[in-house]
Amino acid sequence: MTLALLGQGLAIGLVNGALYILTALGLTLIYGILHIVNFAHGEIYMLGAMLIYVLFVALQWPLPLAFAAIILLAVAAGLAVERGIFRGLRGQWMQLLVASVGISLIIQSLSWIAFGAQEKNVPSVLPGVLIIGGVRMPLERLAAAGVALVLVTGLYWLVYRTRIGLAMRAIEEDEETARMLGVNSDRVAAIAVALGFVLAALGGAFVAPIYSLNPGMGLEAILMSFIIIIIGGLGSITGTVLAGLLIGMLQSIGALILGAEAAHVLVFAAMIAVLVLRPQGLLGRA
Amino acid sequence: MSRPLLAALTFAAAALTALPSSAQESFKIGNLSPLSGPAAAFGIGINRGIELATEDVGTFTVAGKQYKLELVPYDTSLDPGKTVAALNRAILNDNVKYGFILGSGVHGAVLPIIRQHGFFDIFMGAMGKEITNPENPTVFRFMASSDQLYYTFTPEIYKKLNIKRVGFMGPNNDLGRADVRMLKDVAGRLKGQGVEFVGEELVEINAKDFQAALLRLLAKNPDAIDTNASPTGTVGLIAKQARELGYKGYFISSTAVLEAKALVGIAGRGADNIVAYRIWSTSPTKLYQEIADRHEKKYKEPTLGTVWEAYAATRWVVEAVQKAGSFDTKKVAEQLAGSSFQFHPYGPATWGGEKSHGIRRQIQTPLPASIIKDGKWEPLEVRMGVLE
Amino acid sequence: MKRFSVPLLLAVLVVLPFLAKPYALHVAIVVLFSVTYTAALYAVLRMGYLSLGHAGFIALGAYACVILSVRLGVSPWLGIPAGGLVAGLAAWGLGALTLRLRGIYFSLAVFAFGEIVTAFFRAFDWFGGPAGIPGVPRPSFFGTPLASHFAFYWLVLAVAVLGIGLLYRLQFTRFGATLLTLKSADSEKLAESVGIPAARYKTAAFVVSCAVTGCMGAVHAQYLLFVSPQVFTFLTSTDLLIYAMVGGLASFWGPILGAGVLTALGEQLFSVGYWKTLVYAAILMIVILVLPGGLIDLPRRLRARARAAIAAPEVR
Repeated sequence: MTLALLGQGLAIGLVNGALYILTALGLTLIYGILHIVNFAHGEIYMLGAMLIYVLFVALQWPLPLAFAAIILLAVAAGLAVERGIFRGLRGQWMQLLVASVGISLIIQSLSWIAFGAQEKNVPSVLPGVLIIGGVRMPLERLAAAGVALVLVTGLYWLVYRTRIGLAMRAIEEDEETARMLGVNSDRVAAIAVALGFVLAALGGAFVAPIYSLNPGMGLEAILMSFIIIIIGGLGSITGTVLAGLLIGMLQSIGALILGAEAAHVLVFAAMIAVLVLRPQGLLGRA
Repeated sequence: MSRPLLAALTFAAAALTALPSSAQESFKIGNLSPLSGPAAAFGIGINRGIELATEDVGTFTVAGKQYKLELVPYDTSLDPGKTVAALNRAILNDNVKYGFILGSGVHGAVLPIIRQHGFFDIFMGAMGKEITNPENPTVFRFMASSDQLYYTFTPEIYKKLNIKRVGFMGPNNDLGRADVRMLKDVAGRLKGQGVEFVGEELVEINAKDFQAALLRLLAKNPDAIDTNASPTGTVGLIAKQARELGYKGYFISSTAVLEAKALVGIAGRGADNIVAYRIWSTSPTKLYQEIADRHEKKYKEPTLGTVWEAYAATRWVVEAVQKAGSFDTKKVAEQLAGSSFQFHPYGPATWGGEKSHGIRRQIQTPLPASIIKDGKWEPLEVRMGVLE
Repeated sequence: MKRFSVPLLLAVLVVLPFLAKPYALHVAIVVLFSVTYTAALYAVLRMGYLSLGHAGFIALGAYACVILSVRLGVSPWLGIPAGGLVAGLAAWGLGALTLRLRGIYFSLAVFAFGEIVTAFFRAFDWFGGPAGIPGVPRPSFFGTPLASHFAFYWLVLAVAVLGIGLLYRLQFTRFGATLLTLKSADSEKLAESVGIPAARYKTAAFVVSCAVTGCMGAVHAQYLLFVSPQVFTFLTSTDLLIYAMVGGLASFWGPILGAGVLTALGEQLFSVGYWKTLVYAAILMIVILVLPGGLIDLPRRLRARARAAIAAPEVR
């Protein structure tokens, strides 16, 4: 295990960690505000990636237009799902969870039918590699990591520095009192879900060129997102960031030393350890 | 009405509605393959191969009676449990005696059923004598097997491309594990020519990130990385990520469906120097090109890799049934094993494997090797040996 | 009428193999598996705990039986209770660690457990690795193994009846009624304050549920003649949840009904995997949005509507 290898391993871990953060952010938001575990999160992520393929690659739309379309569609979907399904089930967490499972299965099966089984790929817009001190980092991964940073910062700003963020935190703290004080909790919930969907879709869209696409990729995304929010703390943005980086590094260094399978088990073991020793996650609130 | 009674009646009704499907005058060929999920291209390709063969075979006579081919698809998603269920349904409910079963990994579960009923298994999978052997006389492998590829083809490729240090990055399943053992054996036999096996990494078949595994393997400086039967997406990602880590050597792939376009889409220029057996860069026969054209016209997309082999298998089996004069699978198996076939899109086909597998159930056809240069397949002038 | 319904149900199940074709028997066997697993899951659901990893216990039971009979030469008959034992022990351990977690935390912990079980069996060759272990022997009855569908059906039926019977007794006793009081964190505290040892009750229910699941898992492996990490996955766990919800969570028979109908339906809708998933998910969404009590609630709803229509006829 040379220093060079370790250095490369760390770099890989950090960048991958940023990608995990990008993947999990939407789930954290929706859970954080509404205490809903949105199982469909992985599928929205997949749709974001698929839409980039359809709009940018197949239909040859200019990139900014494709992104605008994805954001608009995600907002529409989020509002529809919140209004049509989540709202009626508020308070029944089991039904909500299973409903979101149902939504995810519907999206997934429709996607297989619509997009077909052949793997798709989005060619890189940034194909180069940055080499610093012998450590190689692909540019497009760095770009996605940068996007993660931007989105996290934007989310912080929204939640802690705006009125709507204040309303969100009020709802999370005590919905009934918030309503009594004039907060339109239905509207805030709708915005939270729409935003969560947008984050998920953008996550998928930015990660799309890094790996190949198929309609089954949502499952992988939701699994990873679960692990991150459990370890980081359900509902904590900082927790998500921390957990993402931690898991990224654990996987990378673990795989380097012990092999991919063992690293996999390590991550799950970390998850169970956190659940047993500190169930609210590293930075979650009890 | 009380609930348990409701439950019982619904249950009984549902169980008994297992309807039988249609009757005699069709010769049913099942397709128990993944038709959904990441490996769907394999199964769908087989469907289409059968459909194209059906068009060419039309109505045929067996022992005086007229028959038509009927395709009966079953989606197994490459899952052993589902394959068992599908085979049960095929044999017991749908009266299917012949079928394609795809996947070395599912065969552990279905071989007992195949043996019990004498089901004629058109096996599409690379694993060798564990599956085609004298205990399974109705199982025929209609594609190249790993052992033939590794023992007779690989050394030629190493010689041609001057490959000395070889690494393995294949799927972590029984096929991958069996093949890495074979590769080590082959490398051992080629020691005299300076060939050395330098390392292996077994990766999950659905994994997307191979950076850590690649880091470990690349530290050993391989000239070529054998990606075995990894699916297209995986090969593309491995190539892309390896290039990002600075690797400049070859990749060698034994998978059946490997489109240059897909590889280049994922890895860009990084796809150059991917070597594949079983991929033709130019049409070996007129029939091959004709099938490719018909496929594009009918299905509006480039031909899926398993189409040609499925086409050939269907027509050859029909011919064997006609010559045997019966649908008895044991008789047809004997007839088939002794025959050769002129309508295989790859060229003249016959059977081998008597020495290495104990029984002649391994198809022998001309097989190509191709290499990607400048984003396109080019032929690699190497010839595979015959399996005895 | 109600008195005779359970015996009537049993009678139907006993007569079935003599009337049905072998393929229908295959469907019946798979339905019995599903129904047992779902009934076991329900025992945990009604306590307010959503298990997202029940497939892990099926796998434990299956692998325990297979390892014992294939690797260690133990009789397949013993493999079945062994499966239940291993799964039950694991549930005891997991429960001790996780039953004090509520809601989604518990669910995710059990989910992680399920994934670890799969990863574990995948990692070691002695446990078959990713390829699994073929050649699983079936139990023999007086010398002949239960090779045909007809013969094996009886074993499956016996284990199903015993398992579901046990779960029934678990529910329709004072013990079972007490479990309902543990449904939420607050009511659990209340129960404890009147002296109910909540943790022990919950653990007992969890262990029984997983033991029954494990036993049936062993039988399942013997049916497939094979076991591998791909057979019982997270998707299996979610399937079981869907069956339970579609059937209806308010009654013991609801999940059983849901499992029976959807599994039988699923075996028929064979052709392509995604259509089956789509239909399942669509049915689920319809039930959640329109029929929250599940299918089992349908007769009552229709009767209530009928009564309402009669009582308040439309004024024209």
